[in-house]
Amino acid sequence: MSLNFDRSLEYLKMLIIVGVLILIGQRIGYGVNVMPALPGMLIVILISFIALTIKDSFPELKFPAFAWASLIALILSMPFMPTSDIFLKFTNEVNFLGTTTPILAFAGISVGNKIQKLKKLSWKVFIVAIAVFIGTYFGSAIIAQIVLKMQGII
Amino acid sequence: MKKNSEKQEEKMGQSNFNSFLKLCLTVLVIVVITEMFGTKTFRLGPGRVVLLPMLFAVVIGMLITPDLLGSKMESLKKIISMDEVKMAGSYVMIALLPLGVKYGTLVGPNIVEVVKAGPAFLLQELGNLGTVFIALPLALFLGMEREAVGATASISREPTLGVIGEKYGISSPEGTGVLGTYLMGTVFGTIFFGLLGGYSAATGLHPLALAMASGMGSGSMMAAASGALAEAVPEMKDGILAYAATSNMLTGVTGLYSVIFLGLPLVNFLYDKLYPFFSKKNRGDK
Repeated sequence: MSLNFDRSLEYLKMLIIVGVLILIGQRIGYGVNVMPALPGMLIVILISFIALTIKDSFPELKFPAFAWASLIALILSMPFMPTSDIFLKFTNEVNFLGTTTPILAFAGISVGNKIQKLKKLSWKVFIVAIAVFIGTYFGSAIIAQIVLKMQGII
Repeated sequence: MKKNSEKQEEKMGQSNFNSFLKLCLTVLVIVVITEMFGTKTFRLGPGRVVLLPMLFAVVIGMLITPDLLGSKMESLKKIISMDEVKMAGSYVMIALLPLGVKYGTLVGPNIVEVVKAGPAFLLQELGNLGTVFIALPLALFLGMEREAVGATASISREPTLGVIGEKYGISSPEGTGVLGTYLMGTVFGTIFFGLLGGYSAATGLHPLALAMASGMGSGSMMAAASGALAEAVPEMKDGILAYAATSNMLTGVTGLYSVIFLGLPLVNFLYDKLYPFFSKKNRGDK
Protein backbone atom coordinates (compact mmCIF):
# COMPACT_ATOMS: atom_id res chain seq x y z
CA MET A 1 0.00 0.00 0.00
CA SER A 2 2.78 2.40 0.97
CA LEU A 3 4.59 1.60 -2.27
CA ASN A 4 1.49 2.51 -4.23
CA PHE A 5 1.27 5.73 -2.32
CA ASP A 6 4.87 6.58 -3.24
CA ARG A 7 4.18 5.82 -6.86
CA SER A 8 1.05 7.97 -6.86
CA LEU A 9 3.05 10.82 -5.36
CA GLU A 10 5.66 10.40 -8.10
CA TYR A 11 2.93 10.47 -10.76
CA LEU A 12 1.50 13.65 -9.29
CA LYS A 13 4.92 15.30 -9.18
CA MET A 14 5.56 14.44 -12.83
CA LEU A 15 2.10 15.58 -13.89
CA ILE A 16 2.55 18.92 -12.15
CA ILE A 17 5.91 19.43 -13.89
CA VAL A 18 4.32 18.64 -17.24
CA GLY A 19 1.42 20.97 -16.40
CA VAL A 20 3.80 23.83 -15.64
CA LEU A 21 5.68 23.20 -18.91
CA ILE A 22 2.41 23.32 -20.86
CA LEU A 23 1.25 26.50 -19.11
CA ILE A 24 4.51 28.28 -19.92
CA GLY A 25 4.62 26.92 -23.47
CA GLN A 26 1.08 27.95 -24.34
CA ARG A 27 1.60 31.39 -22.79
CA ILE A 28 4.45 31.94 -25.24
CA GLY A 29 3.11 30.10 -28.27
CA TYR A 30 -0.63 30.79 -28.13
CA GLY A 31 -0.96 33.76 -25.79
CA VAL A 32 -3.05 31.91 -23.18
CA ASN A 33 -2.50 33.60 -19.82
CA VAL A 34 -1.41 31.34 -16.99
CA MET A 35 -3.99 32.29 -14.35
CA PRO A 36 -7.19 31.74 -16.40
CA ALA A 37 -5.76 28.44 -17.65
CA LEU A 38 -4.93 27.18 -14.16
CA PRO A 39 -8.31 25.62 -13.22
CA GLY A 40 -8.47 23.82 -16.59
CA MET A 41 -4.94 22.52 -16.11
CA LEU A 42 -5.81 21.24 -12.62
CA ILE A 43 -8.77 19.33 -14.09
CA VAL A 44 -6.52 17.91 -16.83
CA ILE A 45 -3.96 16.80 -14.23
CA LEU A 46 -6.67 15.23 -12.08
CA ILE A 47 -8.08 13.21 -15.00
CA SER A 48 -4.57 12.14 -16.03
CA PHE A 49 -3.95 11.00 -12.48
CA ILE A 50 -7.20 9.02 -12.40
CA ALA A 51 -6.26 7.44 -15.74
CA LEU A 52 -2.91 6.28 -14.35
CA THR A 53 -4.61 4.90 -11.25
CA ILE A 54 -7.14 2.95 -13.31
CA LYS A 55 -4.41 1.56 -15.55
CA ASP A 56 -2.35 0.40 -12.57
CA SER A 57 -5.43 -1.13 -10.93
CA PHE A 58 -6.43 -3.17 -13.99
CA PRO A 59 -3.16 -4.18 -15.66
CA GLU A 60 -4.78 -7.23 -17.28
CA LEU A 61 -6.94 -4.98 -19.50
CA LYS A 62 -3.89 -3.75 -21.46
CA PHE A 63 -5.65 -0.46 -22.16
CA PRO A 64 -3.07 2.34 -21.99
CA ALA A 65 -3.42 5.26 -19.56
CA PHE A 66 -3.50 7.60 -22.57
CA ALA A 67 -6.69 5.92 -23.80
CA TRP A 68 -8.24 5.98 -20.31
CA ALA A 69 -7.55 9.71 -20.11
CA SER A 70 -9.27 10.26 -23.48
CA LEU A 71 -12.20 8.07 -22.50
CA ILE A 72 -12.85 9.88 -19.20
CA ALA A 73 -12.66 13.29 -20.89
CA LEU A 74 -14.85 12.03 -23.72
CA ILE A 75 -17.60 10.92 -21.31
CA LEU A 76 -17.45 14.17 -19.31
CA SER A 77 -17.76 16.28 -22.46
CA MET A 78 -20.61 14.51 -24.26
CA PRO A 79 -23.39 16.98 -25.10
CA PHE A 80 -26.06 15.28 -22.97
CA MET A 81 -23.83 15.10 -19.90
CA PRO A 82 -24.52 17.72 -17.19
CA THR A 83 -20.76 18.14 -16.80
CA SER A 84 -20.07 19.05 -20.41
CA ASP A 85 -20.50 22.86 -20.33
CA ILE A 86 -18.37 23.59 -17.30
CA PHE A 87 -15.82 20.90 -18.16
CA LEU A 88 -15.30 22.23 -21.68
CA LYS A 89 -15.24 25.83 -20.48
CA PHE A 90 -12.24 25.11 -18.27
CA THR A 91 -10.37 22.62 -20.46
CA ASN A 92 -10.70 24.93 -23.49
CA GLU A 93 -8.13 27.11 -21.74
CA VAL A 94 -5.59 24.32 -22.21
CA ASN A 95 -4.37 24.55 -25.80
CA PHE A 96 -4.31 21.34 -27.80
CA LEU A 97 -1.03 21.99 -29.62
CA GLY A 98 0.46 23.41 -26.42
CA THR A 99 0.23 19.97 -24.82
CA THR A 100 2.19 18.36 -27.65
CA THR A 101 5.46 20.31 -27.45
CA PRO A 102 6.67 19.05 -24.04
CA ILE A 103 5.80 15.46 -25.01
CA LEU A 104 7.99 15.56 -28.05
CA ALA A 105 10.81 17.38 -26.28
CA PHE A 106 10.90 14.53 -23.76
CA ALA A 107 10.45 11.98 -26.55
CA GLY A 108 13.37 13.41 -28.51
CA ILE A 109 15.67 13.16 -25.52
CA SER A 110 14.39 9.70 -24.60
CA VAL A 111 15.51 8.15 -27.90
CA GLY A 112 19.08 9.19 -27.09
CA ASN A 113 19.95 5.68 -25.92
CA LYS A 114 18.73 4.17 -29.21
CA ILE A 115 21.04 6.08 -31.55
CA GLN A 116 23.81 3.48 -31.37
CA LYS A 117 21.34 0.67 -32.06
CA LEU A 118 19.90 2.67 -34.93
CA LYS A 119 23.32 3.13 -36.50
CA LYS A 120 23.71 -0.65 -36.56
CA LEU A 121 20.56 -1.14 -38.63
CA SER A 122 20.93 -1.68 -42.33
CA TRP A 123 19.68 0.93 -44.79
CA LYS A 124 17.16 -1.68 -45.91
CA VAL A 125 15.34 -1.42 -42.58
CA PHE A 126 15.08 2.33 -43.10
CA ILE A 127 13.42 1.93 -46.50
CA VAL A 128 11.14 -0.89 -45.38
CA ALA A 129 10.01 1.11 -42.32
CA ILE A 130 9.08 4.07 -44.52
CA ALA A 131 7.03 1.68 -46.68
CA VAL A 132 5.37 0.34 -43.51
CA PHE A 133 4.45 3.88 -42.41
CA ILE A 134 3.06 4.79 -45.81
CA GLY A 135 1.22 1.48 -46.22
CA THR A 136 -0.44 1.72 -42.81
CA TYR A 137 -1.43 5.35 -43.23
CA PHE A 138 -2.77 5.30 -46.77
CA GLY A 139 -4.24 1.80 -46.38
CA SER A 140 -6.48 3.15 -43.62
CA ALA A 141 -7.11 6.45 -45.39
CA ILE A 142 -8.27 4.80 -48.61
CA ILE A 143 -10.67 2.42 -46.83
CA ALA A 144 -11.96 5.29 -44.67
CA GLN A 145 -12.49 7.39 -47.80
CA ILE A 146 -14.51 4.64 -49.50
CA VAL A 147 -16.68 3.84 -46.47
CA LEU A 148 -17.30 7.47 -45.51
CA LYS A 149 -18.32 8.16 -49.09
CA MET A 150 -20.66 5.14 -49.15
CA GLN A 151 -22.22 6.36 -45.91
CA GLY A 152 -22.66 9.81 -47.41
CA ILE A 153 -20.68 11.49 -44.64
CA ILE A 154 -18.18 13.11 -46.99
CA MET B 1 27.23 -0.58 7.54
CA LYS B 2 23.81 0.91 7.94
CA LYS B 3 25.20 4.39 7.87
CA ASN B 4 27.02 3.63 4.66
CA SER B 5 23.95 2.44 2.84
CA GLU B 6 22.01 5.41 4.13
CA LYS B 7 24.68 7.70 2.79
CA GLN B 8 24.59 5.92 -0.53
CA GLU B 9 20.84 6.26 -0.68
CA GLU B 10 21.13 9.92 0.07
CA LYS B 11 23.70 10.28 -2.67
CA MET B 12 21.48 8.44 -5.12
CA GLY B 13 18.54 10.59 -4.17
CA GLN B 14 20.74 13.63 -4.71
CA SER B 15 21.89 12.56 -8.17
CA ASN B 16 18.32 11.64 -9.07
CA PHE B 17 17.19 15.07 -8.06
CA ASN B 18 19.99 16.64 -10.10
CA SER B 19 18.99 14.59 -13.14
CA PHE B 20 15.39 15.63 -12.61
CA LEU B 21 16.33 19.31 -12.46
CA LYS B 22 18.61 19.14 -15.47
CA LEU B 23 16.06 17.26 -17.55
CA CYS B 24 13.09 19.48 -16.69
CA LEU B 25 15.01 22.72 -17.18
CA THR B 26 16.32 21.47 -20.52
CA VAL B 27 12.81 20.61 -21.66
CA LEU B 28 11.62 24.01 -20.45
CA VAL B 29 14.28 25.69 -22.57
CA ILE B 30 13.30 23.56 -25.60
CA VAL B 31 9.61 24.39 -25.10
CA VAL B 32 10.30 28.13 -24.74
CA ILE B 33 12.52 28.27 -27.84
CA THR B 34 10.24 26.19 -30.07
CA GLU B 35 7.04 28.00 -28.99
CA MET B 36 8.72 31.36 -29.59
CA PHE B 37 9.73 30.17 -33.03
CA GLY B 38 6.13 29.04 -33.63
CA THR B 39 4.48 27.17 -36.48
CA LYS B 40 5.96 27.50 -39.95
CA THR B 41 4.09 26.49 -43.07
CA PHE B 42 5.21 26.68 -46.65
CA ARG B 43 4.02 25.43 -50.03
CA LEU B 44 5.89 22.64 -51.69
CA GLY B 45 4.55 21.56 -55.07
CA PRO B 46 0.87 20.71 -54.73
CA GLY B 47 0.84 20.50 -50.94
CA ARG B 48 1.64 22.42 -47.80
CA VAL B 49 4.34 21.47 -45.37
CA VAL B 50 3.39 22.25 -41.76
CA LEU B 51 6.21 22.49 -39.24
CA LEU B 52 4.72 22.56 -35.75
CA PRO B 53 6.71 23.48 -32.63
CA MET B 54 6.51 19.82 -31.57
CA LEU B 55 8.47 18.85 -34.66
CA PHE B 56 11.30 21.22 -33.79
CA ALA B 57 11.11 20.03 -30.18
CA VAL B 58 11.67 16.37 -31.06
CA VAL B 59 14.57 17.22 -33.37
CA ILE B 60 16.29 19.46 -30.80
CA GLY B 61 15.67 16.87 -28.07
CA MET B 62 17.29 14.19 -30.16
CA LEU B 63 20.25 16.33 -31.23
CA ILE B 64 21.33 17.20 -27.70
CA THR B 65 21.62 13.55 -26.57
CA PRO B 66 25.05 12.13 -25.65
CA ASP B 67 25.57 10.11 -28.85
CA LEU B 68 24.86 13.03 -31.18
CA LEU B 69 25.90 16.61 -30.27
CA GLY B 70 26.84 15.37 -26.79
CA SER B 71 29.68 13.34 -28.28
CA LYS B 72 31.18 16.55 -29.66
CA MET B 73 30.47 18.84 -26.71
CA GLU B 74 31.64 17.70 -23.31
CA SER B 75 29.61 20.37 -21.49
CA LEU B 76 26.38 19.23 -23.13
CA LYS B 77 27.08 15.67 -22.04
CA LYS B 78 27.26 16.93 -18.47
CA ILE B 79 23.70 18.27 -18.73
CA ILE B 80 22.06 15.51 -20.75
CA SER B 81 23.78 12.22 -19.93
CA MET B 82 22.32 8.75 -20.30
CA ASP B 83 20.71 9.18 -16.83
CA GLU B 84 18.59 12.05 -18.09
CA VAL B 85 17.83 10.16 -21.31
CA LYS B 86 16.50 7.26 -19.26
CA MET B 87 14.43 9.55 -17.08
CA ALA B 88 12.96 11.28 -20.14
CA GLY B 89 11.44 7.96 -21.19
CA SER B 90 9.15 7.81 -18.18
CA TYR B 91 8.17 11.45 -18.65
CA VAL B 92 6.96 10.78 -22.19
CA MET B 93 4.23 8.47 -20.89
CA ILE B 94 3.13 11.04 -18.30
CA ALA B 95 3.34 14.02 -20.68
CA LEU B 96 1.06 12.22 -23.15
CA LEU B 97 -1.83 12.17 -20.68
CA PRO B 98 -2.87 15.85 -20.89
CA LEU B 99 -2.95 15.38 -24.67
CA GLY B 100 -5.12 12.31 -24.13
CA VAL B 101 -7.53 14.43 -22.08
CA LYS B 102 -7.58 17.11 -24.78
CA TYR B 103 -8.39 14.52 -27.43
CA GLY B 104 -11.25 13.25 -25.26
CA THR B 105 -12.69 16.77 -25.06
CA LEU B 106 -12.60 16.92 -28.87
CA VAL B 107 -14.41 13.62 -29.33
CA GLY B 108 -17.06 14.09 -26.61
CA PRO B 109 -18.94 17.07 -28.12
CA ASN B 110 -18.87 15.35 -31.54
CA ILE B 111 -19.84 11.92 -30.23
CA VAL B 112 -23.01 11.71 -32.33
CA GLU B 113 -21.14 12.31 -35.61
CA VAL B 114 -18.41 9.92 -34.54
CA VAL B 115 -20.86 7.12 -33.77
CA LYS B 116 -22.55 7.70 -37.13
CA ALA B 117 -19.18 7.13 -38.79
CA GLY B 118 -18.79 3.88 -36.81
CA PRO B 119 -18.62 1.52 -39.81
CA ALA B 120 -15.87 3.61 -41.39
CA PHE B 121 -13.91 3.59 -38.14
CA LEU B 122 -14.10 -0.18 -37.81
CA LEU B 123 -13.30 -0.97 -41.43
CA GLN B 124 -10.40 1.45 -41.72
CA GLU B 125 -8.69 -0.50 -38.93
CA LEU B 126 -8.26 -3.18 -41.61
CA GLY B 127 -6.43 -0.61 -43.68
CA ASN B 128 -3.52 -0.93 -41.28
CA LEU B 129 -2.86 -4.18 -43.12
CA GLY B 130 -1.96 -2.06 -46.14
CA THR B 131 1.60 -2.22 -44.89
CA VAL B 132 1.76 -5.93 -45.72
CA PHE B 133 0.95 -5.39 -49.39
CA ILE B 134 3.39 -2.54 -49.90
CA ALA B 135 6.24 -3.15 -47.49
CA LEU B 136 6.53 -6.95 -47.63
CA PRO B 137 7.24 -7.19 -51.39
CA LEU B 138 9.69 -4.32 -51.03
CA ALA B 139 11.48 -6.03 -48.13
CA LEU B 140 11.75 -9.26 -50.12
CA PHE B 141 12.95 -7.35 -53.15
CA LEU B 142 15.72 -5.87 -51.00
CA GLY B 143 16.76 -9.40 -50.06
CA MET B 144 15.35 -9.64 -46.53
CA GLU B 145 14.15 -13.06 -45.45
CA ARG B 146 12.19 -13.92 -42.28
CA GLU B 147 13.10 -10.46 -40.88
CA ALA B 148 10.56 -9.13 -43.37
CA VAL B 149 7.73 -10.93 -41.56
CA GLY B 150 8.44 -9.12 -38.31
CA ALA B 151 9.24 -5.82 -39.95
CA THR B 152 6.10 -5.51 -42.08
CA ALA B 153 3.31 -7.27 -40.13
CA SER B 154 2.18 -3.95 -38.69
CA ILE B 155 3.50 -0.52 -37.77
CA SER B 156 5.31 -2.32 -34.93
CA ARG B 157 4.19 -0.48 -31.82
CA GLU B 158 4.45 -2.08 -28.40
CA PRO B 159 1.60 -4.65 -28.79
CA THR B 160 3.19 -6.06 -31.96
CA LEU B 161 6.56 -6.18 -30.28
CA GLY B 162 4.97 -8.29 -27.55
CA VAL B 163 3.14 -10.64 -29.92
CA ILE B 164 6.14 -11.32 -32.16
CA GLY B 165 8.49 -11.57 -29.21
CA GLU B 166 6.25 -14.22 -27.69
CA LYS B 167 5.66 -16.17 -30.88
CA TYR B 168 9.14 -16.18 -32.42
CA GLY B 169 11.41 -14.87 -29.66
CA ILE B 170 12.79 -11.36 -29.80
CA SER B 171 16.27 -12.53 -30.93
CA SER B 172 14.82 -14.54 -33.85
CA PRO B 173 14.97 -13.09 -37.39
CA GLU B 174 11.30 -12.06 -37.05
CA GLY B 175 12.18 -10.37 -33.75
CA THR B 176 15.05 -8.51 -35.38
CA GLY B 177 12.66 -7.31 -38.06
CA VAL B 178 10.00 -6.04 -35.70
CA LEU B 179 12.61 -4.31 -33.55
CA GLY B 180 13.97 -2.55 -36.63
CA THR B 181 10.61 -1.04 -37.58
CA TYR B 182 9.86 -0.30 -33.93
CA LEU B 183 13.13 1.57 -33.55
CA MET B 184 12.61 3.50 -36.75
CA GLY B 185 9.10 4.43 -35.66
CA THR B 186 10.25 5.53 -32.24
CA VAL B 187 13.04 7.71 -33.57
CA PHE B 188 11.62 9.00 -36.85
CA GLY B 189 7.89 8.23 -36.62
CA THR B 190 6.72 11.58 -35.28
CA ILE B 191 8.95 13.50 -37.67
CA PHE B 192 7.78 11.45 -40.64
CA PHE B 193 4.08 11.68 -39.79
CA GLY B 194 4.40 15.33 -38.81
CA LEU B 195 5.54 16.04 -42.37
CA LEU B 196 3.22 13.55 -44.06
CA GLY B 197 0.11 14.63 -42.10
CA GLY B 198 0.09 18.17 -43.44
CA TYR B 199 1.22 17.23 -46.91
CA SER B 200 -1.23 14.33 -47.36
CA ALA B 201 -4.10 16.82 -47.71
CA ALA B 202 -2.77 17.34 -51.24
CA THR B 203 -3.53 13.72 -52.21
CA GLY B 204 -7.21 14.51 -52.70
CA LEU B 205 -8.24 12.09 -49.96
CA HIS B 206 -10.79 13.68 -47.64
CA PRO B 207 -9.26 15.24 -44.49
CA LEU B 208 -11.59 13.16 -42.30
CA ALA B 209 -10.41 9.95 -43.98
CA LEU B 210 -6.80 11.02 -43.44
CA ALA B 211 -7.64 11.90 -39.84
CA MET B 212 -8.92 8.38 -39.23
CA ALA B 213 -5.73 7.00 -40.73
CA SER B 214 -3.55 8.93 -38.31
CA GLY B 215 -4.79 6.84 -35.37
CA MET B 216 -2.28 4.03 -35.55
CA GLY B 217 -1.90 3.13 -31.90
CA SER B 218 0.79 5.66 -31.03
CA GLY B 219 -0.29 8.79 -29.21
CA SER B 220 2.65 10.86 -30.36
CA MET B 221 2.51 9.79 -34.02
CA MET B 222 -1.22 10.48 -34.05
CA ALA B 223 -0.63 13.92 -32.52
CA ALA B 224 2.03 14.71 -35.11
CA ALA B 225 -0.04 13.54 -38.09
CA SER B 226 -3.40 14.98 -37.03
CA GLY B 227 -1.91 18.18 -35.60
CA ALA B 228 -0.20 18.95 -38.89
CA LEU B 229 -3.29 17.97 -40.89
CA ALA B 230 -5.47 20.23 -38.73
CA GLU B 231 -3.10 23.14 -39.37
CA ALA B 232 -3.20 22.45 -43.11
CA VAL B 233 -7.03 22.32 -43.18
CA PRO B 234 -7.91 24.67 -40.29
CA GLU B 235 -11.61 24.94 -41.19
CA MET B 236 -12.04 21.24 -40.30
CA LYS B 237 -9.77 21.27 -37.28
CA ASP B 238 -12.21 19.94 -34.66
CA GLY B 239 -13.51 17.14 -36.86
CA ILE B 240 -10.00 16.08 -37.81
CA LEU B 241 -8.79 15.90 -34.23
CA ALA B 242 -11.94 14.11 -33.03
CA TYR B 243 -11.72 11.47 -35.78
CA ALA B 244 -8.00 10.95 -35.21
CA ALA B 245 -8.42 10.50 -31.46
CA THR B 246 -11.32 8.07 -31.86
CA SER B 247 -9.42 6.00 -34.39
CA ASN B 248 -6.39 5.89 -32.14
CA MET B 249 -8.47 4.73 -29.18
CA LEU B 250 -10.01 2.05 -31.35
CA THR B 251 -6.58 0.87 -32.50
CA GLY B 252 -5.64 0.68 -28.82
CA VAL B 253 -8.42 -1.88 -28.41
CA THR B 254 -8.21 -3.74 -31.72
CA GLY B 255 -4.49 -3.39 -32.53
CA LEU B 256 -3.29 -6.40 -30.58
CA TYR B 257 -5.97 -8.73 -31.99
CA SER B 258 -5.58 -7.45 -35.49
CA VAL B 259 -1.88 -8.38 -35.42
CA ILE B 260 -2.54 -11.85 -33.97
CA PHE B 261 -5.51 -12.82 -36.14
CA LEU B 262 -5.00 -10.79 -39.32
CA GLY B 263 -1.59 -9.18 -39.70
CA LEU B 264 0.64 -12.12 -38.88
CA PRO B 265 -1.34 -14.79 -40.77
CA LEU B 266 -1.56 -12.50 -43.78
CA VAL B 267 2.11 -11.60 -43.81
CA ASN B 268 3.09 -15.26 -43.42
CA PHE B 269 0.72 -16.31 -46.21
CA LEU B 270 2.07 -13.68 -48.59
CA TYR B 271 5.64 -14.45 -47.57
CA ASP B 272 5.19 -18.09 -48.57
CA LYS B 273 3.69 -17.05 -51.90
CA LEU B 274 6.21 -14.33 -52.73
CA TYR B 275 9.44 -15.66 -51.26
CA PRO B 276 10.15 -18.32 -53.95
CA PHE B 277 9.71 -15.70 -56.65
CA PHE B 278 12.04 -13.16 -55.02
CA SER B 279 14.67 -15.66 -53.90
CA LYS B 280 14.93 -17.01 -57.44
CA LYS B 281 15.25 -13.50 -58.74
CA ASN B 282 17.86 -12.53 -56.16
CA ARG B 283 19.89 -15.62 -56.92
CA GLY B 284 19.60 -14.82 -60.61
CA ASP B 285 21.00 -11.36 -59.93
CA LYS B 286 24.08 -12.82 -58.33
